[in-house]
Amino acid sequence: MAKHPVTLTVNGDEHDLLIEPRKTLLAVLRDTIGMTGTKEGCSTGDCGACTVIVDGKAVTSCMVLGVTASGKEITTIEGLASDGELHPVQQAFINTGGYQCGFCTPGFIMASKALIDENPDRTEEEFRHALGGNICRCTGYTKILEAVLKAAEKIRTTA
Amino acid sequence: MSEYTVVGQTVARVDAVEKVTGAAQYGADVHPPGMLYGKIVRSKHAHANIRSIDTSEAEKLPGVRAIITQADVPSGRRVFATDKVLYLGEPLAAVAATDPDIAEEAAELIKIDYEVLPVVQDVMEAIKSSAPRLHSDDTKDGPNRREISGHIRTLSRDKENDHSDEISKLEAALENYPDEVYYNISAESHSEAGDVEKGFAESDVVVEDTYVIPRVHQTYMEPHVSVASADSSGKITVWASTQGPFAIRSGIAGTLGIPLTQINVIGTTMGGGFGGRFGVIITHVPAVLLSQKTGRPVRVQMTREEEFIDGRPAPGCVIKLKTGATNDGHILARQALAFWDSGSVSGASIGSTIRVRGVYKIPNLKVDAYGVHTNKSGTAAYRAPGAPQAIFAGESQLDEIAERIGMDPVQFRLMNMREEGDAVPAGGSEPKVGYKETLEAVADAAGWWDREADENQGWGVAVGDWTNGCGPGGVYVSVHEDGSVRIFHGSMDITGTDTAISQIIAEILTVPYESVTIRRGDTDSAPYSTGSGGSVVTFTMGNTAKLAAEDAHQRILELASERLNTNVENLELKAGAVHVVSAEPPKSISLGELAAYSLSTTGGPIVGKGSFARQPSTPALAAQIAKVEVDPETGRTRVLKLVASQDVGFAINPMAVEGQIEGGTVQGYAWAMMEEMQYNENGNVNPGFVDYRVPTSADLPTVESVIVEVPAPNGPYGAKGVGEPPITPTLATMANAVKDAIGIRITDLPIKPEKVIQALRNNGHSA
Repeated sequence: MAKHPVTLTVNGDEHDLLIEPRKTLLAVLRDTIGMTGTKEGCSTGDCGACTVIVDGKAVTSCMVLGVTASGKEITTIEGLASDGELHPVQQAFINTGGYQCGFCTPGFIMASKALIDENPDRTEEEFRHALGGNICRCTGYTKILEAVLKAAEKIRTTA
Repeated sequence: MSEYTVVGQTVARVDAVEKVTGAAQYGADVHPPGMLYGKIVRSKHAHANIRSIDTSEAEKLPGVRAIITQADVPSGRRVFATDKVLYLGEPLAAVAATDPDIAEEAAELIKIDYEVLPVVQDVMEAIKSSAPRLHSDDTKDGPNRREISGHIRTLSRDKENDHSDEISKLEAALENYPDEVYYNISAESHSEAGDVEKGFAESDVVVEDTYVIPRVHQTYMEPHVSVASADSSGKITVWASTQGPFAIRSGIAGTLGIPLTQINVIGTTMGGGFGGRFGVIITHVPAVLLSQKTGRPVRVQMTREEEFIDGRPAPGCVIKLKTGATNDGHILARQALAFWDSGSVSGASIGSTIRVRGVYKIPNLKVDAYGVHTNKSGTAAYRAPGAPQAIFAGESQLDEIAERIGMDPVQFRLMNMREEGDAVPAGGSEPKVGYKETLEAVADAAGWWDREADENQGWGVAVGDWTNGCGPGGVYVSVHEDGSVRIFHGSMDITGTDTAISQIIAEILTVPYESVTIRRGDTDSAPYSTGSGGSVVTFTMGNTAKLAAEDAHQRILELASERLNTNVENLELKAGAVHVVSAEPPKSISLGELAAYSLSTTGGPIVGKGSFARQPSTPALAAQIAKVEVDPETGRTRVLKLVASQDVGFAINPMAVEGQIEGGTVQGYAWAMMEEMQYNENGNVNPGFVDYRVPTSADLPTVESVIVEVPAPNGPYGAKGVGEPPITPTLATMANAVKDAIGIRITDLPIKPEKVIQALRNNGHSA
């Protein structure tokens, strides 16, 4: 199958790649670039494990073709911590026990970050519904919600 | 105040940073150089004879490196179906290619000629003589016929006397039960205590009902995956996402006839398991075979759809249950007849039917259980295997009895719960368990005693019990010259167990939790460890860790005794240093100094070894209360409150324990209200998250967890396994709450809106 040249900016680094048009952004991140922090849980856009941030918006990377992400700014879980400091969302997930097996965690953290960036003043109920596209099978969501609310508060008060 | 400084405290987990930064390595993250991508070729029919498999077109596709079928399994052990498939998705062949899309294309190009056969999916149909048969030798007598046939056999064996008259009478009696010959039976289990007929006769109230519990999928978020690499010497390395690397090693060895020493299994970080991640054949064996054939590493990774059609989910079942009690609230008898849907093979947890007994004094109990073949994949464990199903029936029916005799459901349960010293059916006597304490704790926390309910609202309570398993394990502990502590073992972390092991060792060696590091070895390097299932890890590895730390502690005191010129009896390890007791001026030496000193001693470095296999475990109780509101127009049930208490023995890391309670309770909620694998003559019809809905954060309120601590005599610090109990009562908790809200008992799960609407209509409610 013919390959197409694309340029992806991932966590600030530019990657010039040749990829088949059938490859998803998820496959490009994981198999071509070798960044495996983003997870594949369903391949149908239903579980949210593959959530990354593209130009500021959370998207399920299994539902985006790699070629269509050319020229866009992509942030993955690997790009969240800076200068050795965890992002407040990451820290909050640790402090509240908002993860167990950890497989859904990168997706949850990216979705939460995008939501908080967009509006940190959401209520618990609003966050519950806004995070309805991400499945966690271990925690029952109680501690995830706690983490997201704590992170939102931290970001509100330090912004 | 706790007498402990590290155990009993909430600490961040040892794997915290790697899990929140994407650094943790799961199975699909392993990518050795030259790796090929495997794909399993699956049956497109639920029941069919296979006339032929033609791989010629697929072999021509550029990028395909190998195609294997059962003919490529030298041991002859069944890995792929050959002449007959028994369910949709059953493996027939496997492909390895240079790209996952090419592997998938090749799989589609393999031509399979099927002769389609009739299908049976419903267990109550499958047991009839008219049902299609999956295997030939699968006919069993039902309980009544079984009893009579047993009697005939006993009489026939007595050669001293002539019983021919009695035998012919009994043979005539058998004809009264013609529909009690069951077909498609994969296994059976029977037990009896006391005399149930007498118990029912003495009862004032007898309730009988049939409960239907669906097959559900564990739905761990990481699909099955393995990467196998066979080198030219024949050595095989498998990176496996599994709960039990040692079981996978012996499983591969047994299936393929390879010596154990030739296989190294590296357990990768596990993306959830819940009991469903022990299978050997599902991905590991095909990956090994493909790697052996190609000489390159091969990854076999299931898609979510493959998980649904060929995972090993929890069995559904039909339980006919009968309970008798007196008007003053004593349960006298209980009888169950259960049919478990074991799919195309045996292995459903039919023995768990006995859990209809619950934690109650029931003097007369009879249980007959059968596993039944249907055209579905086989089943596996799912969090307290079999218990949620049996306890759903038992706890639903208890509420019906309580209602008939006019007793409060909590009071009724408290009154019938077993107590310390009571005889237990398996022999021996009941240990001290916080049955009543746990139920009272949830009732208090939920506000049960002064509960209020508006129209269409209701409250439900249920309890469930489970006893953690136990198994072999080994741990090494080393103390290094900077005072840090290193742990080495081979058990898979199951959401927090590595942290609990680290806390226990830090506690005993009196060092800060942060100075302890834990490392898991592969099966080539680590001491044997039991699989991480059955809530065994904290109990088993916790005890093992304690032994290892105590062994190191012993060596530390010996070294200090040499160094401080005093007897071991005068020494005490405290805050990371050994002190001479009541020395004036104080005299001590740090662990780091002792570790450095140890390197030049005759005895050598500080290495503690712990090795452990078993000790009796103690049951644990989970008790839950839900308040719900049912919308009579839409049939939708909304949870207003969900409180879960659990006797955990001792919470080594309270935050992690709460996480287990909350997660298990939500899985139970989902089984009660949402989840159901659906099948028709084509096989599974909802193999994805759109049609098989699991709960999201939008479906539930906060689960409130309540920790109750009644120590287990043999648990580390009194701890019990905590993972499994919380799922056991929730199915009944929800059904009981819905009953309280709408006045109608739903015995057929899940309680989806359409079922509620139907129930309301059948009971004369207008929409």
